[in-house]
Amino acid sequence: MSLFQIVEVKKTFKNGEVDEQVLKGINLTLKEGEITALVGASGSGKSTILTISAGLQRASEGRLVFEGKNLNEMNQEQIRKIRARQFGFIFQSSHLVPFLTVQDQLMVMLNVSETKLKKHEQKEEVEKLLKIVDMYHRKEAYPPSLSGGEKQRVAIARALIHKPKILFADEPTASLDSRRTKDVMTLIRELTRTMDITTLMVTHDEEMLSYADQIVTMKDGLIQ
Amino acid sequence: MNIAWKEIKKNKVRFMILGSIIFLVSFLTFIISGLSNGLSQDNAALIKDLPDGHIYMNSDAEETYNASKIDENLQSKILGDNKEATAFSIQMGFVTDNSDTQHSVAFVTSTGSNLFENVGKGEVIVDSSLKEEGIKVGDKLTNNQFSGAFIVKGFVDKKTFSHAPVAYINTENYKEIYRVSEMQLLFIPGEDKAQSFSGLQSFSNKKFLNTIPSYSAEQLSLNMITWFLVVISGMLFAIFFYMMNVQKIGLYGILKAIGFKTISLFVMMWYQMIFITLIALGISAALSQGFAVIAPKGLPFDLTTEASIQLTFIFITIGFVGATLSGIQIKKVEPLQAIQQGVV
Ligand SMILES: Nc1ncnc2c1ncn2[C@@H]1O[C@H](COP(=O)(O)OP(=O)(O)OP(=O)(O)O)[C@@H](O)[C@H]1O
Ligand SMILES: [Mg+2]
Repeated sequence: MSLFQIVEVKKTFKNGEVDEQVLKGINLTLKEGEITALVGASGSGKSTILTISAGLQRASEGRLVFEGKNLNEMNQEQIRKIRARQFGFIFQSSHLVPFLTVQDQLMVMLNVSETKLKKHEQKEEVEKLLKIVDMYHRKEAYPPSLSGGEKQRVAIARALIHKPKILFADEPTASLDSRRTKDVMTLIRELTRTMDITTLMVTHDEEMLSYADQIVTMKDGLIQ
Repeated sequence: MNIAWKEIKKNKVRFMILGSIIFLVSFLTFIISGLSNGLSQDNAALIKDLPDGHIYMNSDAEETYNASKIDENLQSKILGDNKEATAFSIQMGFVTDNSDTQHSVAFVTSTGSNLFENVGKGEVIVDSSLKEEGIKVGDKLTNNQFSGAFIVKGFVDKKTFSHAPVAYINTENYKEIYRVSEMQLLFIPGEDKAQSFSGLQSFSNKKFLNTIPSYSAEQLSLNMITWFLVVISGMLFAIFFYMMNVQKIGLYGILKAIGFKTISLFVMMWYQMIFITLIALGISAALSQGFAVIAPKGLPFDLTTEASIQLTFIFITIGFVGATLSGIQIKKVEPLQAIQQGVV
């Protein structure tokens, strides 16, 4: 089943006087519960299609169909709601909020997604997930005191705490060494499987492809 | 969960610096405002304590009460028609006590009325500040224009004019000292609208105060200082929140990316601004009340509760405006930029 469809998506950036077409008509279907890996040379447009799909920037042309509705025709507030409730994000750096403890990072996400859970249920959910990503013992810690791998594990937990339908990840392991990369990838795969979350992930790393169900290669703004 | 409060807790020093700047500026503003009101009381309590109404003087006096002479026939007619009305005169002068010390006073006399003290011939009722200069009930006070002597009959509290204690004397004694037969001013209390009498010009109490040259100059400069401080504090708010917001652009971008509403980010900033301001103003208000207690007696300081509340309200409004203006950049933050820049 297709949960998310990218149809003939084009993106043009204005570089001074010159128009640069970075995406030249992308077609891609994300299958429910599967991990789709986007690979390709630097500058081929991977991050651009990912952020457009995630509603963080607009496509110049084309359709992005999520649950039967075109993201590219929605207003800012409609897209924000979808980002808050249905999407999760993991980026190259963890982008945690510096003045919140590990557990508050997740509580904030639950608040933003307007979960219907009661306060104590929220706390239970947060603690359960922190145990899974093995960060429960650091739940009172602030981000500056965490290692890179620990930060990324918190970021994963934050991206999934509200049980999104789709997880968008842009080189989530780029800042980690190869052992940590394996841990983090295993974690992402396990969690998205058990929670039935669909994943679109950009990667440079050959090793990570073994975790993907579908591998898509990009070149010069097109899928090969 | 209150993210605004958590940020304050984690970044105490930063917010304390903002708080202490707001405190210093608002404290200074409270003090100046108290002095301004104190000086205004000191300068014109005699007039400020009158009930609402209108003061009339001669049109030819050109708004100088000293030069005003009310025609006696007109005066008796007006006093006859308006039961509450009174005619009065004010002149600066001196009295000498039995140890030959001179005291500057404002002589006030009036036709019988309960708005002013009524005194018999050869008697005087003076402001209680003269008590501190050693004058007691029963003392004899003299004036070199006056053939007799005044016996101090009693004291009144806080009745001053032009920074001098008021001395109420009988109209006949007054006429002898200043060699005049007319009164300077008429006061009719309780009218919303002034009546018109030919040859007389009317003033509300407030407008009359502004005809006293020292009064308007003094109040104008103090009010200017007060407003200047208020504007400065508004700018401080704007600049400080601007700097904090610039540092937090990345954070705002991330919060927007994960689905924060822009308005929630503004609410977060407003919450912080109001919290800091209220604490700073609370301390300022408490300390300025304390200052009123320890201020030296000669320093006219009078900060009313209304003035404190009014200033608090103005500070919060201006802090709100300053913070909001500087927060316009929050609206412009693109989540994508923040993600690509990579913070934390
Ligand atoms: N905001 C922008 N304005 C102008 N050009 C842009 C913008 N964002 C991306 N580009 C250009 O689009 C092209 C694709 O960029 P993108 O970030 O999608 O590449 P990528 O495949 O993710 O590369 P990498 O593997 O290095 O991350 C690049 O040539 C880049 O310079
Ligand atoms: Mg990229």
